[in-house]
Amino acid sequence: MKRRALGFLISLWAVLTLNFLLPRLLPGDPLAALLDPSSSAYVFNSATRASLAEYYGLDRPLVQQYADYLAGTLRGDLGQSIRLNRPVGELLRAHLPWTLLLTLTALSAASLLGVLGGAEAAWRRGSATDKALVVSSVIASNAPVFFTGMILLIVFGARLDWLPLAGGRTAFARYGTPWEAARDYAAHLALPAVTLTLALVGSKFLLVRNSMIGVLGEDYMLVARAKGLSTGRLKRHHALRNALIPFVHHLAAHAGFALTGALFIETLFNYPGMGRLVFESVVARDYPVIQGVFVVVSALVLGANLLADWLSYRLDPRRREAL
Amino acid sequence: MSAPLLNVHDLRVIFAPAAPGQPPARVVDGVSFALDAGDSLAIVGETGSGKTTLARALLGLHPAGSVSGSVQLGGQELVGLDEGRWRPLRWQRIALAVQNAGTAFDPVYRMGEQIGEPLREHRGLSSAEATARAAALVAQVGLTERHLRAYPHQLSGGEKQRLMLAMALSCDPELLIVDEPTSGQDMLARAQVIALLRAICAQRGTALLLISHDLAAVSQLAGQVAVLYAGKLAEVGATRDVLSAPRHPYTWGLLSAYPDMSTARDLSGIRGQMPDPTHPPTGCRFHPRCTQAVDECRRVEPPLQLHNGRRLACHLGGLRALLRAEGLRKTFTTNGHLGPAQNVEAVRNVSLEVYEGEVVGLVGETGSGKSTLGRLLVGLLDPESGSIVFEGNPLALNNGSASRHLRRRIQLIPQDPFDSVSPYLTVCQIVREPLDVQRAGTPAERRERVREALAAVGLPTLDAFLARHPHELSGGQLQRVVIARALVLEPKLIVADEPVSMLDASEQAKLITLLEDIQNERGMGLLLISHDLALVRKVADRILVMRDGQIIEGGPSSQVLAQPQHEYTRALLRAAPSFDWYTTSSGGNRP
Repeated sequence: MKRRALGFLISLWAVLTLNFLLPRLLPGDPLAALLDPSSSAYVFNSATRASLAEYYGLDRPLVQQYADYLAGTLRGDLGQSIRLNRPVGELLRAHLPWTLLLTLTALSAASLLGVLGGAEAAWRRGSATDKALVVSSVIASNAPVFFTGMILLIVFGARLDWLPLAGGRTAFARYGTPWEAARDYAAHLALPAVTLTLALVGSKFLLVRNSMIGVLGEDYMLVARAKGLSTGRLKRHHALRNALIPFVHHLAAHAGFALTGALFIETLFNYPGMGRLVFESVVARDYPVIQGVFVVVSALVLGANLLADWLSYRLDPRRREAL
Repeated sequence: MSAPLLNVHDLRVIFAPAAPGQPPARVVDGVSFALDAGDSLAIVGETGSGKTTLARALLGLHPAGSVSGSVQLGGQELVGLDEGRWRPLRWQRIALAVQNAGTAFDPVYRMGEQIGEPLREHRGLSSAEATARAAALVAQVGLTERHLRAYPHQLSGGEKQRLMLAMALSCDPELLIVDEPTSGQDMLARAQVIALLRAICAQRGTALLLISHDLAAVSQLAGQVAVLYAGKLAEVGATRDVLSAPRHPYTWGLLSAYPDMSTARDLSGIRGQMPDPTHPPTGCRFHPRCTQAVDECRRVEPPLQLHNGRRLACHLGGLRALLRAEGLRKTFTTNGHLGPAQNVEAVRNVSLEVYEGEVVGLVGETGSGKSTLGRLLVGLLDPESGSIVFEGNPLALNNGSASRHLRRRIQLIPQDPFDSVSPYLTVCQIVREPLDVQRAGTPAERRERVREALAAVGLPTLDAFLARHPHELSGGQLQRVVIARALVLEPKLIVADEPVSMLDASEQAKLITLLEDIQNERGMGLLLISHDLALVRKVADRILVMRDGQIIEGGPSSQVLAQPQHEYTRALLRAAPSFDWYTTSSGGNRP
């Protein structure tokens, strides 16, 4: 497990370095537009140009810049947004919790549904229930999120008017009780979370179903049945417990997919997470923000993998020696 | 006598086809047996005979609807119970130690937890109580607390095998089913498991149903044995009787293929393959592989019934004597030119039998009457008295035309090939000669059969080779031609008189192997006459020792070689070739 943690740190360092190097490998530099006489943003005053370079630290040697960058990042300083002229760290702190709320809700819901449905479908392999679940999961996981999201918006938001159309909470609302606040947040979260859950649940269902079918064919399941154990114990204590081992790894690999999916859906539902921030930053070429998001998302995905390793270490005694 | 603990009657396990329109797989097809409390029964058979499926059916582990017939445990009918009714029976009354203990444990739980699991589930024991019971069980199979704390992947196959037994015994079942407890284990681990099973059954009075193809293990563990072939029982009886004197051709084949320390001869597998359970053969399921199958075997399914004190499923009452000779006697009279005429009793009151598919070695020194006996059997000489019955038909002693068609079923491979073929004939003519004599088929058919026979003995079938004369062939080639001549009439019995004595060791080995293969493949009987014990022991199922015109000793090869009863046999054994290093008197072993 120590080796895994070390691997996590090395990967994180590699991500940070890549994040530092990539923009510097592009032709020109961030101030090129300001220094190009043909550009509309050309700065005529050479003293201004020099102080700009000094302000952004671009006049220092690359190694120095790298050290400053690493130190800044570790302090939580991810630079300054060019578009909004606010620290990137502050922007992320404002938007990241929303994204995390959406992603984790959808991931949990999709995992729960995928595991329960997959286990049941595998147990009744070949039955009508199984076939219906397989078909609907394939459809759900292949429909584009903007399509499902749009349909949900039209039906539940516009036609039925059950749920709010956009935003993360009611603007300017004042909550009397925490319960009221929770209801408001949940109502806004519902549609984006359902959309993301639908996008995620299919692959989880299929994976659990397949690995469960594999486990059900193992000799130890036959022995467990021969031992006269109850159906519930066979299904959960033996079959599902073993089928979850590959699922944990899938979950980690899927965390990145879930996050990017969340970013799309946030734009669609105008949810206040990082999705809109990224979208607007890309349009405005606000590199510091994009880079900040890149670092945070990478760190989250790496963290999810570390967590998965730890979980599979807990779930599978055979891995304890391998780690 | 009280009712048996387990009474299986007409049990069938028929699996629905994988795709519609295909026939179902009849894996177990009408099996009946009974097992008394505290007794032991082994089910033996090749892989695919349905043993494991049968074992699982006794625990209700097959899909509902695939099992029919009756299984009664202590009078309670088990076939047709639903899962809810099965559950309390499993492990508490019938426990199963599965075949592959290596994969029989859930990889994510400790051994102690898995062994204690049935106790907690069935008996409502607390975790601590179950662990304490598990510790006692583990001690009983010779393992320690350390093994209880281990995960399956941390233990060896042998350890898991023992823990499997400990787990099977946890609820003290009345019936323990053990599926292949010794397969895939080294000899020491195997011996330990056998000793353990014996001790367990003796101590607890547990009835044991052993599923195995390990005949030695069966002989040590089971009082009764039932031989299963393609889902049906072929032979049932006391283990000692069945394994020491198999009566069903299949049991006999199984034993011939089984290596044990007392076997001297080469192993021979049973010819052909186990039939596919979706397309079982008509009639007797073993008939395509049986050497003695008659028309009835192809049409009518034989019931399992008593034949001379043994329960057999065979129309012919088990292995038949292919050839039975009784009281044969032959005396030669010298012509008296060199002195008074003398009677030489070459064969004196000899009786012998050759069973279906059997290789019998007839050994003895030169002049003991072996060759004369061989010639009497094939009809080259007429005995003065005695009788020969071949395939149930008595042969006329004066070699009349009435028995000609029977005679063609017995062929002789003579000692010296150069002596036994005409130097003026070609290879083709030599091999075709018996066909010409018997007027079998058209000339074209005869030529085709000549080619087949030559191919069977590994000779070229080119026209150029067919046109050769004996002097153009090597000794080994010519002997093969002679064998081909013997085979061309598709005989049922071959009498081979010193068939390889003229050849060098390598050519000998090749020809003997060839003869053995042909014998096994075609299911013939073979009477191998030889003075070379070292050679005979590699081939023969039984050995007869002949001296002065009489058979003085006979029995299974292993027995004759290991415990020769007659002084003459011992002398032959001492004289048989063996490497015995030359040493000088100074003690060095270098000349």
